[in-house]
Amino acid sequence: MFVLPPPPRYPNGQLYTGMPGGALLETNNTLEHPTGPEYQLVVGEGTYVLRDDMHLATPPPHPSDAPQPNNNPLATTIGPPTAGTKLSTVVFAPKKPPQSQSLFRTTTTQSTRSNFASIQEESQGPKSDAGSTNGYGSRATFGDGNPALAPVAVKGKKKDERPKPKNNIVKSNSSFVSRVIPHESMAKRLGEHSPDGIFAFANVNRAFMWLDLSSPSDMKTENMTKVLFTKAHAICHDVNTFTQSTSHLDVILGFNTGDLIWYEPVSQKYARLNKNGMINNTAVNAVWWLPNKENYFLAAHMDGSLIVYDKEKEDAEFTPEESSPSPTENGYTSNGSTDAVPLPRQSRLNIKKSVQSRNQKTNPISVWKLSNQKIHGVAFSPDGRHLAAVAEDGTLTIMDYLAERVLDVHRSYFGAFLSVTWSPDSRYVLTGGQDDLVCIWSVADHSLVARCVGHESWVRDVKFDPWRCDERNYRFGSVGEDCRLLLWDFSVGMLGRPKIGAHRGSIGNGAPVAREKSHSFSAAGRMRSKSNLSTQPDDSLNGGEANGAAQGARVHGVDSKASTATLPPVMNKVVDSHPLSWLGFQENCIITACDNAHVREWERPKEGAGEEN
Amino acid sequence: MSFFGKFKPSSTPSNPNVSPPAKKDPNAPQPTPLEKLLAPDSLEPVRADGSDKYFGFENYGSTCYCNSIVTALYYSEAFRDHVINFPSKAFLDSISDELEKSAANGGLTGHKNTSTTPYPNPMSPARKVAQPTSPGPNTPVKPEESKDSPEYKKRMAIQNGPVLDMTYDNSKKYGMDESLFTSLKDIFEAVIEQKSRIGVVSPHKFLEILRRENEMFRTAMHQDAHEFLNLLLNQVVDNVEMFSSQHAAIVLQAQANGGAPEKALSKTTTNGVNGVHTPSNGLDTRWVHDLFEGTLTSETRCLTCENTSQRDEAFLDLSVDLSAHTSVTSCLRKFSEEEMLCERNKFHCDNCGGLQEAEKRMKIKRLPRILALHLKRFKYTEDLQRLQKLFHRVVYPFYLRLFNTTEDADDSDRLYELYAVVVHIGGGPYHGHYVSIIKTQDRGWLLFDDELVEPVDKNYVLNFFGGEPQPGVQDAKQLACAYVLFYQETTMEAMLKEQEAEGNQQNKPRTSDAGTTPMDPSTFSPPNLSHLHHTQTVTDPPHELLDHMKPLAHAATAPVAPDHHHAHSQSAPAMPSVANLNVPKSKKELKAEEKERKAAQKAEEKALAAQRKESANKRMEAWRKQEAEMAQIMELSKQSAAEEARKRGEEPAAEKSGGGGLSRFARHGSMSLKGKPKIFGGGKDRDSSAGLPAVPQGAAPADTAPAETPMSPGGAGGEEKAKKNRFSLGRKKSTSLM
Repeated sequence: MFVLPPPPRYPNGQLYTGMPGGALLETNNTLEHPTGPEYQLVVGEGTYVLRDDMHLATPPPHPSDAPQPNNNPLATTIGPPTAGTKLSTVVFAPKKPPQSQSLFRTTTTQSTRSNFASIQEESQGPKSDAGSTNGYGSRATFGDGNPALAPVAVKGKKKDERPKPKNNIVKSNSSFVSRVIPHESMAKRLGEHSPDGIFAFANVNRAFMWLDLSSPSDMKTENMTKVLFTKAHAICHDVNTFTQSTSHLDVILGFNTGDLIWYEPVSQKYARLNKNGMINNTAVNAVWWLPNKENYFLAAHMDGSLIVYDKEKEDAEFTPEESSPSPTENGYTSNGSTDAVPLPRQSRLNIKKSVQSRNQKTNPISVWKLSNQKIHGVAFSPDGRHLAAVAEDGTLTIMDYLAERVLDVHRSYFGAFLSVTWSPDSRYVLTGGQDDLVCIWSVADHSLVARCVGHESWVRDVKFDPWRCDERNYRFGSVGEDCRLLLWDFSVGMLGRPKIGAHRGSIGNGAPVAREKSHSFSAAGRMRSKSNLSTQPDDSLNGGEANGAAQGARVHGVDSKASTATLPPVMNKVVDSHPLSWLGFQENCIITACDNAHVREWERPKEGAGEEN
Repeated sequence: MSFFGKFKPSSTPSNPNVSPPAKKDPNAPQPTPLEKLLAPDSLEPVRADGSDKYFGFENYGSTCYCNSIVTALYYSEAFRDHVINFPSKAFLDSISDELEKSAANGGLTGHKNTSTTPYPNPMSPARKVAQPTSPGPNTPVKPEESKDSPEYKKRMAIQNGPVLDMTYDNSKKYGMDESLFTSLKDIFEAVIEQKSRIGVVSPHKFLEILRRENEMFRTAMHQDAHEFLNLLLNQVVDNVEMFSSQHAAIVLQAQANGGAPEKALSKTTTNGVNGVHTPSNGLDTRWVHDLFEGTLTSETRCLTCENTSQRDEAFLDLSVDLSAHTSVTSCLRKFSEEEMLCERNKFHCDNCGGLQEAEKRMKIKRLPRILALHLKRFKYTEDLQRLQKLFHRVVYPFYLRLFNTTEDADDSDRLYELYAVVVHIGGGPYHGHYVSIIKTQDRGWLLFDDELVEPVDKNYVLNFFGGEPQPGVQDAKQLACAYVLFYQETTMEAMLKEQEAEGNQQNKPRTSDAGTTPMDPSTFSPPNLSHLHHTQTVTDPPHELLDHMKPLAHAATAPVAPDHHHAHSQSAPAMPSVANLNVPKSKKELKAEEKERKAAQKAEEKALAAQRKESANKRMEAWRKQEAEMAQIMELSKQSAAEEARKRGEEPAAEKSGGGGLSRFARHGSMSLKGKPKIFGGGKDRDSSAGLPAVPQGAAPADTAPAETPMSPGGAGGEEKAKKNRFSLGRKKSTSLM
């Protein structure tokens, strides 16, 4: 075994941000196993115990970019944008989360109500194959109907062979990539990796790391590969679950410079897109592969643009193709005279290039200007039909991205939304934001279901726990600036009643949006009275669809606090000493990551323990 | 406090490339970023409402607390309008006869020619160096001083002017006695009347009155901006109310003499003193209340008899306790959380008679139009026996609604927007600097740093969340934390409009005036210039203060030598990183990496050497001047001991306690301590002037104590004084007190 000498230390912490950073940072990841009650999360189902606390090495600034000591407390220079540590996980052969088969677990004692049909069966007919990645056969996907985007048969290409990027990142002499450090026995480790083991990718400032979280602890701290970039900071990344295999991983990285890198870590190949911000020169805040698409990914740029790129296409100078307002824009409704909210321009989708454009030889595939302000997060619904995006201006936009159409625009209670996610059954959207709230939005009802109160600062990430969602109960978690992890159980019975339920109204726009409000109130009422989530969506879904199609996007007002149900957390605990930036649920653990690059794995309670009731 | 040690006074630009490319004619006036911002509209007429005036305020020697607050108030449109329009023209006309009469009798002549300080004030740092004839011995003007240093810019601002010398007093014109209000009004009117959009206000008279009437602001020491805000608002209330009560008398008198008072005034006259609160004839005396005042309802439930008592209390600003990694929303929620009144903080129950344990909660019943939110960053710590600055990271959003309202509150979902942030820069409560960052009507966000006014990016506003300073991180930004937040009432429509405008602005091509847009930070303040002097508009000579920051890091008994040692020890840990970086990598990679490191190291060493030299000189000079008292030396050595202990490897927490740092400034029983009476509740009587008796929670929830200062607003009865106590409600959990 190769023994490393003591790691070198850098005294300067997180120079870029001035944010709390470790006093000493090391080039190697370190692993700790702190124990004690403060490293345990006690929930109804049992106790989650901190298994591993891995501190990822944060690289010092590149020498050419090293900040000078700053003696001016009012210096107006702003460091490169950072987004803390963001992870993504890859499991090649996941033991399917329950919802991929039946959407919800039916084994728990609470869920044995006989008349309770599975939500999926009732309302999600065509979506039921969402879990299986290839089950899309007949479903519309992005770019359908545009012959310019029809797959071109490539000669001599084997069917299961995935295209790789062109350039070797290890041998690259690009000034963009500073250094690549592959593990010396990567092939061996790849071979030994269990199919249900967890690979994780993490971006930390200018570093991008590939980790094997399921390797034995003496190997765990060693990166499979670590890529250091020269000046650019990787802000976000995503792994394509549609194309992933033991021999191929499509990773896309978004940078503060606007650049995007398509990276295939197994073969160490890469390609750079939107080079030097050719198409859009603002930072990429979020990036996602389109559901069940091999080539397309969506990048949310800082200027409020959502751009779909093809990983294999070349960049070309972009000029907006359709300056005239899109049909969607005209199709706006003000929801009758009661809705006094003036329709702000930024809530309309400005299609600068449609996916239906015939000019598809080069990137971008489509360009939508969603907002005037920074987009903080985007998420595709698991059924692949909708896209949710949240922005600095405090809007949640739910889109039918296939039809390039905005369905709903919701508003935060106040301040920006920072994170967004979908429930496993694509029926609910969660947001977290600067109002310290997690909000549950019903897609079918086009309404706010509940505000979740418990965070002490801004909510940076929200995720559902697919392993603990069933037809009675949704489990989700949230992390934020307050260093806390909160777990929530969203079920009908737990919804706190609004204090003034009688007149549910919206605020800030004079009168309530009559149709919207009465609708959602009746829905909420039904939910409460019948305790049955699955009875209401059909009609409302259909009605909503029809109305939505006829009227265009709905712009909703803000619900007053008195009229909104609130939800308390089932667990609320400080789990790190730094603001948390990422949260993930795995089959056997919860993973949290913080601004200071601590990745913590909280092992789930052992089966049977704590399940007394 | 080792991070202080890093702030070497290298005011010579270490990098000449940074200075703007204006080598040709150094005397040619360079347009400032603010001038560039305003240039496109320079031909348009100046607005009458004063919303397009961007005036700095001259610093009279640690009067930044005043400058930052007055500026923040000026940019509240409603407040400004009220100051300008009170008393209303109609009212003044109606009483003009009486005014003349009383003026002739000398009835209304207030304090005249009471100037005690010479003008221009020699304390003004920017002014001092601006006069080349008498360069202060402590501030040698370096010929090569950077044009980007704030000091230079401030001096230029004074030089370029126009400087509004506020030495006069127009109070008679307003029919009022000279007061803080009239002097504030003088300033506002002078700014608005001024043809130029930019300039500097020299608030001479204002400070004179302030100091004359308030002992605690008399010294040239660092003051608490929040206390000043509270005092100013209360005095404006008093001045305004006194005026109307005086005029009630005048009008009555006129009536008695057979003169016919204006009809519209009749209400005032008939209602007598009560009438002053009813807005009649434009004489609205309640406007300060209308803007800043909110109502808190405190519900106290006696645990013995289960009796619940309610009390309404007015507040002009809210003081909230902080904890690390929270938001202002959360701080406000905590403010309204249920609190146990027990032990030495029991509740006097009228029902069962006597002190009882009780539960208490305070919620907001009436929301103010302007919410002045005071983040209590200065906290008394028992072990150190003095106030200490809390650097906790507390985030604040641009828009806010309140959760802690009562259920019957009107408009309980009111939307607020952040329009001003008063920032405290410094390691402790007894020294430092205040600046304000303010959203202007149509010029975006501006930084007001005494004489200097500069446009800043919107994101810059969020730079002052705070966060525990990292030892070893050389970033002075760590010292700057938001201290008072001003949120004003707004609407969804206004918010949407603004968001759209912002988007359009961002989408504008920057090419037209590249480098002049406020978006481009590189146009001002290059990163590597030493702008330390920002932290010391205090009266102390700059390097004297510096000297204080440094010695924290080493023993006070060995003033000179340790600096080198200190600097070395700081940089030492960095060195090995270069030499033996060890990753099992190819030679090529190693080489490349080593190159990287070496470059970094070299640069660092160079910078350090320059800093060392510079600072050594400064410190020598300073030490000679320093009249260190015994107690201070003791304190310093205690500090340094802690510092050394920390260096030996103790946890950094030990060092954190040195946050207050500059023991020299820890004047026991300092005035600013007075504002926190409850902090000392039950504490030891350690100082006669500071150790105020514990205030029973139920009796007087006043946090700051303007009433304890000899304000003596003539005619204000005891009742008024008692009322004043209610303002600026702060709240301390009895448990978190000590």
